[in-house]
Amino acid sequence: MDRSRRNFCLGAGAATVGAATLAAVPADAGAVSASGDAAHRWAMVVDVRKCVGCQACTVACIMENDVPENSFRTIVSTYEVTEQGKAGSYMLPRLCNHCEDPPCIPVCPTGATYQRRDGIVVVDNSVCVGCAYCVQACPYDARFINHETQTADKCTFCVHRVEAGLLPACVETCVGGARIFGDLKDPDSTVSKLVREQNPKVLKPEMGTQPRVFYIGLDPKMQGKVDGTPTLWRPAPHAGKEHA
Amino acid sequence: MMDTHIVEVINVTREVAWLPWAVQYFFLIGLSVGGLLLSLPGYAFARDSWRPLGRLALIVALTCGLAAPVALLSDLHQPGRFWHFYVVFRPTSWMWWGSLFIPLYIGGLLVYGWACLREELQAHGRVDSRLAGLYRLAALGGGRDDRLIRAAGLFVLAGAALVALYTGVEVAVVKARPLWHTPFLPVQFLTTALAGALGLVLILNRVVGTADRGVEVLGNRLLAAVLAAVMLCGGLWLALGLSGLDAAHAAALDSVAGSEAWRVTAVWAVAATVVPFVIAVARPAGTGLLTGLIAVHSAWMFRWTVFISGQSVPKTGAGFYEYALPAGPDGLMGIVGTAGLWLFLLILMTALLPVSPAPVAGRPANASGHPGGRLTAAE
Repeated sequence: MDRSRRNFCLGAGAATVGAATLAAVPADAGAVSASGDAAHRWAMVVDVRKCVGCQACTVACIMENDVPENSFRTIVSTYEVTEQGKAGSYMLPRLCNHCEDPPCIPVCPTGATYQRRDGIVVVDNSVCVGCAYCVQACPYDARFINHETQTADKCTFCVHRVEAGLLPACVETCVGGARIFGDLKDPDSTVSKLVREQNPKVLKPEMGTQPRVFYIGLDPKMQGKVDGTPTLWRPAPHAGKEHA
Repeated sequence: MMDTHIVEVINVTREVAWLPWAVQYFFLIGLSVGGLLLSLPGYAFARDSWRPLGRLALIVALTCGLAAPVALLSDLHQPGRFWHFYVVFRPTSWMWWGSLFIPLYIGGLLVYGWACLREELQAHGRVDSRLAGLYRLAALGGGRDDRLIRAAGLFVLAGAALVALYTGVEVAVVKARPLWHTPFLPVQFLTTALAGALGLVLILNRVVGTADRGVEVLGNRLLAAVLAAVMLCGGLWLALGLSGLDAAHAAALDSVAGSEAWRVTAVWAVAATVVPFVIAVARPAGTGLLTGLIAVHSAWMFRWTVFISGQSVPKTGAGFYEYALPAGPDGLMGIVGTAGLWLFLLILMTALLPVSPAPVAGRPANASGHPGGRLTAAE
């Protein structure tokens, strides 16, 4: 299990994918190990050249993980770039980078957020006090307060699916095969090969977080805070949902 | 760079995660620490000329110190789980350290405040009134005890230093926000807190005190000195940012330099510091209410700008996020509610122990309270 959906279809066969899709595991299926297996180091490679900006990953993530309205664990940031009079689109899928040195973890005052032995950074929302210190500490704006649980929330690489032998929902659904998921500890995995051979970039390398989400074809202008005109669209406030 | 223009078409806006409650907490705890420091010469070090100012500073320290944790608790999205802080060992988190320092400081402050006010409690206990018994009970049969005041004062001074340290460093360590990630921030928090505390002392001198001219002049002189330190910090911050000598400061300045709103805020902040400074230096008498109001405003605005405006700087997205103050508990209600709590505490404290006319006013400052009334710190 170290592939994008496109390769998975080509290699393993549609029947398996069909079964995987039909047997979608609910987010609260339980039986997810708290500590993970140190034999793996899960990672993602995003080939931005293949992303068409369809936001299928955004939607799949929301459906799979019951992400509240106006919140996103992943999104495809989309930009119109005009260079020397020529305009074009640029897509950049963003998600938690599951950093090797995640700055969100040491700041957590309760130990609610931690890194599993397989590298996946998770939040135990039964322990989290919702102080949002981790939200501040993440350099990638990948965390947010979930107003239904009132705790910190973020991408988990769909840990419940990974443990069941499935791909993360965003990878599963990516029509362009832009998201490739796999095990960095397996030298023969696709992600290992891509990281070895394609020299992918990471976001904000100067932060020293050592992200484990890599990008092929990443424009240096998009690597940090984007210098441009902000979008006019804003999500509606969560005011409609009362919380304690 | 070539002629490149980028327009963000789709992205997510991250809402502020530290709410106006956090602004209120940092404001109130800062003023409490400032008030405590200002009360020490008059009480813990028994400098009688500082007593009248110290008495008002003690009100600031106690009322703000008691209201602050309520604001902090409210900033947690799961306030009922606050006890989770106390069942783990998380030394890498400055917030976790804060959860230890706050009760240490507040507990020490209450003991210190009681020790300082015990003389007044004892005096009220001697007055023929229905509450005399309660006052006598609260005084625990004793009066002024300078040794106890000093011991409690030194203990709470340590607590205040730890609170000042953690509140500053907790924010300054957040590398992801360049605006916060400067070593100047803890110093700026402390100096603006002192300015705010002095401002509140000057206001209280008029509102609940005796409009003591001596307090006003001393308060204004101290305020001028503290505001000079605020300006020095701000100037150094700006110089380091502009010169590019220090990468952290250059990044901090760069993160907001392109915004017209931030430039207006900067001009506002400078004016709110320079104007009270000039007034306090030129006319220290008769201007306390004005300089006090501006100083309190300035201390609050500094925290609002750091926290709320600071969170409007996207970490990855283009431009700035917009922020509109919600009317409910996450916004205006939180600010008003905290202010209301503080006002209630002020009324309670000044009703039970009025600053003027004080039964102990005019008594020799070193008069021992009650015959045989010296108590030991162990009590």
